[in-house]
Amino acid sequence: MKKVSKIIALLCTAALMFGLVACADSGSGSGAEGSDREVQLTFSMWGEVAEYESTKVALAEFNESQDRIWVTALHLGSQEEYAERLLIMSTGDDMPDTGMVDERTAIGWAREGLLLMYDIYAGQPSRPKDGITFKDRGQTVAYSVASEVLALWFNKDMFDDAGIPHPPTRIEDAWTWDEFIEVARQLTFDSNGNNPGDAGFDANNIVQYGAYINQWAWQLEVWALSNGGRWYSEDGTAIVFDAAAIEGMQKVYDLHLVHQVAPFNPAQQDSGWHDSLGAGNVAMASEGQWAVGFTSGSDINYGVGVLPYMERPANITAGGPVGIFSQTDHPQEAAEFLRWYSNPENNWGPIEYGWWMPNMMNWFTEEALLQRWIDDAPHRARLPASSFRTAVADVAINTDVTHPTGWYYTPNTDAIDRILIPALVEAANGTKTVQQVIDEVRPALVAALAG
Amino acid sequence: MRLNLRGALGTTTCCDGCPHNGYGMNIFRKEKKEKSIIAIKEQRAAYVFLIPAFLGLSLITYLPLLAALIVGFTDLTVFMLVRGEAPSFVGLENFRFIFTNPSINFLNSIYVTIYFALFAIISSVIYSMFIAVLLNRKMPGRTFLRAVFYIPYILPSAAVMISWFFLLRYEGGLVNYILVNMGFDRVHFLSSADTVIPALVMIAVWTCGNLIVIFLAGLQNVPRVYMEAAEVDGANFWQRFWRITIPCMTPIIFFNMLMSLVVNLQVVVPALAVTSGGPGQSTMFMTYLLYHFGPRTGQYAFASAMAFVFFLISALLAAVIFLTSKSWIFYEGDDK
Amino acid sequence: MSGFVKSSERKLSTQKFGGLQSKRRTNTVFNIISFILIVSIAAVVLLPIWWIFRSSVMGSQGIFLWPPTFFPLGTLNVTEWLWSNYIINPASFNFWLNLRNSLTITVPCVIFGTATAISCAYAFARLRFRGKKFLFSLCVGSMLMPAAVTLVPLYMAWSALGLVPSYWPLILPYLCGGGAFNIFLLRQFIRTVPRELDEAAKIDGAGYFRTLVSIIVPSIKSAIIVVALLIFITTWNDLLQQMIYIHSRESYTMVLGLTSFFGTFRTDFAGMFAATVMTILPPLVIYIFGQRYFVEGIVMTGMKN
Repeated sequence: MKKVSKIIALLCTAALMFGLVACADSGSGSGAEGSDREVQLTFSMWGEVAEYESTKVALAEFNESQDRIWVTALHLGSQEEYAERLLIMSTGDDMPDTGMVDERTAIGWAREGLLLMYDIYAGQPSRPKDGITFKDRGQTVAYSVASEVLALWFNKDMFDDAGIPHPPTRIEDAWTWDEFIEVARQLTFDSNGNNPGDAGFDANNIVQYGAYINQWAWQLEVWALSNGGRWYSEDGTAIVFDAAAIEGMQKVYDLHLVHQVAPFNPAQQDSGWHDSLGAGNVAMASEGQWAVGFTSGSDINYGVGVLPYMERPANITAGGPVGIFSQTDHPQEAAEFLRWYSNPENNWGPIEYGWWMPNMMNWFTEEALLQRWIDDAPHRARLPASSFRTAVADVAINTDVTHPTGWYYTPNTDAIDRILIPALVEAANGTKTVQQVIDEVRPALVAALAG
Repeated sequence: MRLNLRGALGTTTCCDGCPHNGYGMNIFRKEKKEKSIIAIKEQRAAYVFLIPAFLGLSLITYLPLLAALIVGFTDLTVFMLVRGEAPSFVGLENFRFIFTNPSINFLNSIYVTIYFALFAIISSVIYSMFIAVLLNRKMPGRTFLRAVFYIPYILPSAAVMISWFFLLRYEGGLVNYILVNMGFDRVHFLSSADTVIPALVMIAVWTCGNLIVIFLAGLQNVPRVYMEAAEVDGANFWQRFWRITIPCMTPIIFFNMLMSLVVNLQVVVPALAVTSGGPGQSTMFMTYLLYHFGPRTGQYAFASAMAFVFFLISALLAAVIFLTSKSWIFYEGDDK
Repeated sequence: MSGFVKSSERKLSTQKFGGLQSKRRTNTVFNIISFILIVSIAAVVLLPIWWIFRSSVMGSQGIFLWPPTFFPLGTLNVTEWLWSNYIINPASFNFWLNLRNSLTITVPCVIFGTATAISCAYAFARLRFRGKKFLFSLCVGSMLMPAAVTLVPLYMAWSALGLVPSYWPLILPYLCGGGAFNIFLLRQFIRTVPRELDEAAKIDGAGYFRTLVSIIVPSIKSAIIVVALLIFITTWNDLLQQMIYIHSRESYTMVLGLTSFFGTFRTDFAGMFAATVMTILPPLVIYIFGQRYFVEGIVMTGMKN
């Protein structure tokens, strides 16, 4: 009998704890602050915490700036699971009103009515520069809050130690691909100090690589363009992957496979910046301009230049879009908030820190504004600012060179990535050529594009 | 304590194992009048005890499963739910789609999943049996060593994958560093279609601490009297292992194979955390595709059709293990 | 039967045979070999865990360097163990808050999951009723299904009940059963308890509940600890479900907190590894304290199909 009462006592304690759970839970649920405003909006986002913190600062400013709308930030983990969480939320009618949109799903969601095709700049005097607008068959879906391009980042000390001049910072001086390979070769050393091609070079013991080309699928597209090819047709309705595109991608993989000047870094396992300059064992790396943010707090002496080219200088522009989800009751207020949020003046933190470049054209043409976000931003000024201006800012507005990535006009790029990324690993490790890989997956890519 | 339990085991095998007085129906036929009241009381008590678990099973497992499987015969997507459109029945269309659409290549998924699962089951069972036999011997620090082998099982699987990924990397991985220093070339491990499945099987084997513990438990039940008798007859270690340990362990081997089947058929974390289904399509596991088409892109109809196929395959493999078990499981005494 | 086993064992062990001396020597050699073997395999088993720890006290740079170092010290840029990695900004990984949230979910799950699993296992192991075989195979069959299948229908149901976002969808399922595997495991253990004890209790006038609580539960204590630990580990590590039902960062759990290290443009690996160590520490500590019951518990009691 004693034991029974003991058990009952235990169960009571458990029940009590359970009550506490309920309290703790409901306590954290509702945010009382701002609940008196006429319109309540939720803005969802992904990213690491520094990004979340800076967004919260911006939202607080917006909430201060007027007295009708209150926006709350909702952080949904990393980009990997972001779209998935939103989709599951949508089945319960729990979607946020507005938020960041995964580039790969933007057009697909708009077609399916999950994302409103709402031109937040309709009738506005100024709008973001061309090339960062997500369009489905001519209709505006969403705008990127930032306009990013790729650049060639390098470790100045490694160049100086080898007595090699720094990479060019103007697009008209850009290295050809062969020049790039030769410089990379001179900057690659095994543990005995040999370069690739030297007698006795030990490819299994490379302590410093000359080059690192980021192989995230969307960044590879730039090398297809540079070699005169295309991934998708211009209207985003067809898979192209022509001979020039395939050759361009093969040249990138050959840096590792043939020339031995680059590490093995397949897209599937790419940890980007860390694998390359950040680890201090690569001399040059292609990476987005956002890398400027990571140069802070590092003892590596960074510089920035323009990408080398194969047939023609090429670059791609990208940037996370923000949009209005269809389950909102307040699309107009959401648009008003997004306009405010996308204005560089209001969301200065990410620009100054280095993650974003401004989305409006005038920030690239007016000297006073250029001064503000390049020369007065410490991370960019260190590069120095003049090289950032020509190697990054000028390239971003040069429409002959810089093209929008495929996902600005192509639907279902998430489905394409699911097939392309694992398939290309076999090209990266040399078991197949890019040609063989693309031949194999082309029917799958076509089917994926069709949805 | 040990002997006491041994005795208890003997009793249970006699009582529980006999089909004649084990289950329901017989009681009601025989000795109807005397036993019926007690039997009805017992039955009522049993149902009361089962209520919570079966409330859970029906509401949280089987009802959603049924819902999900029905969706496999409709054209439902997440977007239709959002737009408030009603799905319509499309018959076997989804099954045709998943088996014929080149962007899915479901047959390949079935193949790689079964290949991985069988490979992993066999390796895990052999490895854990081996470790359990070693850990069953008297040695210093035995308790500590037994504890060590279980640790991988309690770690979050994503953390485990990331750690192994860093160890097995082509660039900068410790394992490749060791290989290079021993004079070998580097191996791609997780980034080559030839080595990725063996590498993942190795990780699965590494994780299977639960099987080791269950084998250890089973080894305690191998009657020592048999062992000593065999020793008297001059049987060496191997003979004793094959003739006594293995036959006595067959029920446990069976149990562990089932457990391993359940875990390894559902493999998805390696693909989600590291390989994205590659290289090529060599790790495009069924659950990964299911995951991609279900939660990730909201094409619930396709995902449900895949789930249906997955379920059939799981049931089939489980049935194979169950059916063949009769022929190779050795039950002590009258247990058959 | 037990008497027979006992006496025959005694008889055998007292007998001496020729050639036992040399056998003993080969046995010693064999013992040493197997000890060395098991220790080296154990070292390999612990290697990835060491690697997580080792990476957690190196800078992000050191993690990627070639050649890799086994110990955190001695590389180009690493001159000391960077314990500072563990001082994570609470905004990005709030250890105490996440710990509280994780426990808020796991503790009720463990208590109620174990309790309901025991009652269900008792019915399957001891009581006779119609449809037992069918219900038992339903129970075991539920293990064969991947979680991704029921994810969406369940979310819709919880959401319709107004329980999203909250911890309820993570806790309520454990009020009902605590998992088929645990029921199965407990059933196996209950079957090892002598039936005579039940009968004796019945003669004393105990009902089924009293029998369960006063006879069965004390006899399978170690198995109950095993099941409690298993439920703890499952609920602690259940990233998939937590990701879907927990929305605000204030309610994040330990494993969910790890996802905040994956940024848009880069991943903070040093922070992530430090946070991983902190995340696996609580289950590890509980396991180390409980392992006496755990491994030894299963092993001593034995399992029988």
